[in-house]
Amino acid sequence: MQIDPLLLYRVVDRGRDLGAHYVEARFQDDYGFVVSVRNDKVLAVSYYRNSGVGIRALVNGALGFASTSSTSLSNLLDILELTISQAKATSSLRKKPIVFSEEQLGVVKYSVVEKRPLLDFNVENAIRLAVEAYNTVKSAIREVKLPFLVTTIRAHIQEKLIVTSDGAHIESRVPRLYMSISSTILHPQKGTLQRTREFGGSGGLELIEQWNHLKILVEEHAALEKVLIEGTSPPSEKVTVILGSEVVGLIAHESAGHPMEADRILGREASQAGESYVKPEYINNYRVGNEYATVIDDPTIPGSYGFYLYDDEGVKARPRFLYKNGLIHEPLHNRHTARLFNMRSNGASRSMNSSSEPIIRMSNTYIAPGELSFEELIEDVDLGMYVKSYMEWNIDDIRWNQRYVGLEAYMIRCGELAEPVRNPVLEFTTGWFYSNILAADKNLEFHPGTCGKGEPSQGVPVWFGGPDVKLSKMRVGVLT
Amino acid sequence: MNTDTSGLVHNIVEKLSRQFDEIAVLAVTRRELMTKVWNSEPSITQLWSRLELNIRLAKSRRLWVLSYETHDPETLVKHAEEIVKIADKIMEAELYAPLPDYASCKPLEGAFDPNAEYYTRNPSRLVDVLISEALSTGVERVSGTIMLSKINRLLVTSKGYECSESKTEFEVYARAFRGDFTGHWAHGSTRISQEAVREVSRRAGFYATIAKTRVDFTPGEYNVILSPLVVGNLFDYVASMASALAVLTGFSMFAKYKPGGIVGVDSLSLHDVPRDPALPGAVGFDDEGVETSNKPIIDKGVLATLLHNAATAVKMNTKSTGNAGWIRPRPWNLEIPSGDIREEELIKELRSGVFITNNWYTRLQNYYEGYFSTVSRDMALLVKNGDVVGHVGRVRVASSFSTLMKNLKELSRERFNIWWWEVRTPTRAPFIIVSNIHLTKPEA
Repeated sequence: MQIDPLLLYRVVDRGRDLGAHYVEARFQDDYGFVVSVRNDKVLAVSYYRNSGVGIRALVNGALGFASTSSTSLSNLLDILELTISQAKATSSLRKKPIVFSEEQLGVVKYSVVEKRPLLDFNVENAIRLAVEAYNTVKSAIREVKLPFLVTTIRAHIQEKLIVTSDGAHIESRVPRLYMSISSTILHPQKGTLQRTREFGGSGGLELIEQWNHLKILVEEHAALEKVLIEGTSPPSEKVTVILGSEVVGLIAHESAGHPMEADRILGREASQAGESYVKPEYINNYRVGNEYATVIDDPTIPGSYGFYLYDDEGVKARPRFLYKNGLIHEPLHNRHTARLFNMRSNGASRSMNSSSEPIIRMSNTYIAPGELSFEELIEDVDLGMYVKSYMEWNIDDIRWNQRYVGLEAYMIRCGELAEPVRNPVLEFTTGWFYSNILAADKNLEFHPGTCGKGEPSQGVPVWFGGPDVKLSKMRVGVLT
Repeated sequence: MNTDTSGLVHNIVEKLSRQFDEIAVLAVTRRELMTKVWNSEPSITQLWSRLELNIRLAKSRRLWVLSYETHDPETLVKHAEEIVKIADKIMEAELYAPLPDYASCKPLEGAFDPNAEYYTRNPSRLVDVLISEALSTGVERVSGTIMLSKINRLLVTSKGYECSESKTEFEVYARAFRGDFTGHWAHGSTRISQEAVREVSRRAGFYATIAKTRVDFTPGEYNVILSPLVVGNLFDYVASMASALAVLTGFSMFAKYKPGGIVGVDSLSLHDVPRDPALPGAVGFDDEGVETSNKPIIDKGVLATLLHNAATAVKMNTKSTGNAGWIRPRPWNLEIPSGDIREEELIKELRSGVFITNNWYTRLQNYYEGYFSTVSRDMALLVKNGDVVGHVGRVRVASSFSTLMKNLKELSRERFNIWWWEVRTPTRAPFIIVSNIHLTKPEA
């Protein structure tokens, strides 16, 4: 850790002396490299480091945050005084004071175990990995061309030391590895398909073996070639739809994770990421779906991309059941929203880097799996569609009206996968989706993503996941 | 830029020049303040005091970019010295060109507002205006953001280029709520102005109260009015796809075109205007020390130029357009020339269709083809016989950028400087009317 902890304690003590009710000083160091390769040629090799201190102070019921990359004591005390004076200045505009929940806070040190240290991974290895991905995909296709394939590999180490005026002391180290492969396949008569596939997790170089990415890339691109050449339009009549775990995971993130962020429910993100269809009175009262609608957010999954054990307010992390058997159950909280809901925080406060205020974020969000095999899931479907992956998606700002455009997709006929379908468009509401899950298989898969929220926008690593699920009949649209 | 930073930058260039063929150091100093408003109250005031050190290193056509924000810049030099030891193990960069030869420094003038100091010390005055002005329109609550920035860029290269410039940035946006009906407006400038805050809040309140009723909506093709907020969002995507790197990686609808190709109707132009000192993306020199210039990206419906840095220009056999990004060329400020129709005539001119006042979450199925969809937020107004009938709720524009640019019918005379969470390149945009745009909404 590249800071003397005593500096942070001096900041906290000085903040209390200046009248702050709560002070939090967080040293955060994010560093690593990014390699981008176009086809088999290097586009860019970048090294990055964002290192500094973020200070939050609660004064006269108003909240201030300040960040600096200079960690001299005098500079830290200067920005502390500034943020306290700014918070005091805006406190007169508040009608109700901000108050944090009382919590049992951690005094811990933890780090993710790397079987093969990430620091042994260098730019040369990453370039080799990217070129191998290109050559593998190229060998997987037959009739189409591969004009563009961009591989991005990011090695990231995140170290934090968080000290709060009410006793938290959290020291952590989380290494993460991420790879994305964005490809364009082209057929002179049939046009193009584009796909971005991502792999990511926390840990060391053992992640690369776990991803099995080359096998997946081969299978996917062989399938996408078939979709491009042979894909038909979706049928006009309503059909049973099976969604693959990649799509299901994204739905869990967008339509359960985001609307269950308590700050969004209360309106704190209203002018940016929006609000939520969920109202405070819905908690444990409103049924959004059926018994299959159980969505969990769990930061403690070993090896996950959204892994952490204590949040940035010093609260111990644990699994949160956002929706439980169809009932809206437990929002994601920080210490401010927990107080407003008269609850304890469930440890959802995260910061992207030292420049960022901690805000409520998801970690690893997924729909609970069922017990069927995939074959059992589709065996009774006479006419249906299986949508395995997607490219385009969006959802409205209260997380109700959403759209996913399929990429690899197939008709299901008499219980078996049949001809490929091109660009099927799925639009439904959150209520319809969670109320129309007929079954889920046991194939729980996770996919990495970078979730954006806050102002300035903060991107944090997350996993989203789920099983394959079967939905009631629905109309499938056509890309126009 | 203080002398400490200048000395630090020169020291880095001097130390590393002996080991690399070329060095460029871009130091960006930021002093920033943001107050966020939540339910008509400030939720947080944030301050940043940061120094970004960005270094471009080249040796034997190998290229590295280091981006550091750290209390210990010496670690950056040590890191660079480690890189040079293994340089020959890395393959040459596909997109490489030497830094441009020495040029004189011509920093942009007129982009620094001396009032920034006062308002940075007293942001509550602006916050109070944002809240009170919105509430005066009859809405129940308002949220929003005010951000003030003082920024200095210093670029020093081993080719002898040295230039520094300072500017201020002012970003304000507000969202007003009356029940489920909401209105939003935004503004970006290098000039700080209470009147601009008032205008943002007034317009947000105006749109939140423009319709009293919710009406049914049937998906289909509509003629639409898109507000400057929507235009700013969508044409930010268009301009990003004009980056030569987007074209070279397939993430661009322009990969199918060459400059001179027709991409839209002749009433459509899109300009990159870095030398407009009123817009907050204003810069006098790019990250390679090339003097910036205003230029059309699309000129009267024709793709005029892609955006280049030195390396993409060499790859495509042309000249830098002064849009570096060491790796990715990018637009600085965008401007869409105005048309003839007055803002108050838009709804009459549309006659029948939908007026989309704001949008978010634009995503593409295929960048190469330009297929996208985006979701309306805030008011989306059904217009019949030249009158607003009511609010249709959240609907989705599902189209292609090609359709958008070829079906453009009208542009308003008035234009607005838009900059907010969903429009990250500052854009001076009019309202536009576009025909036959597909709008969707889920059946259930």
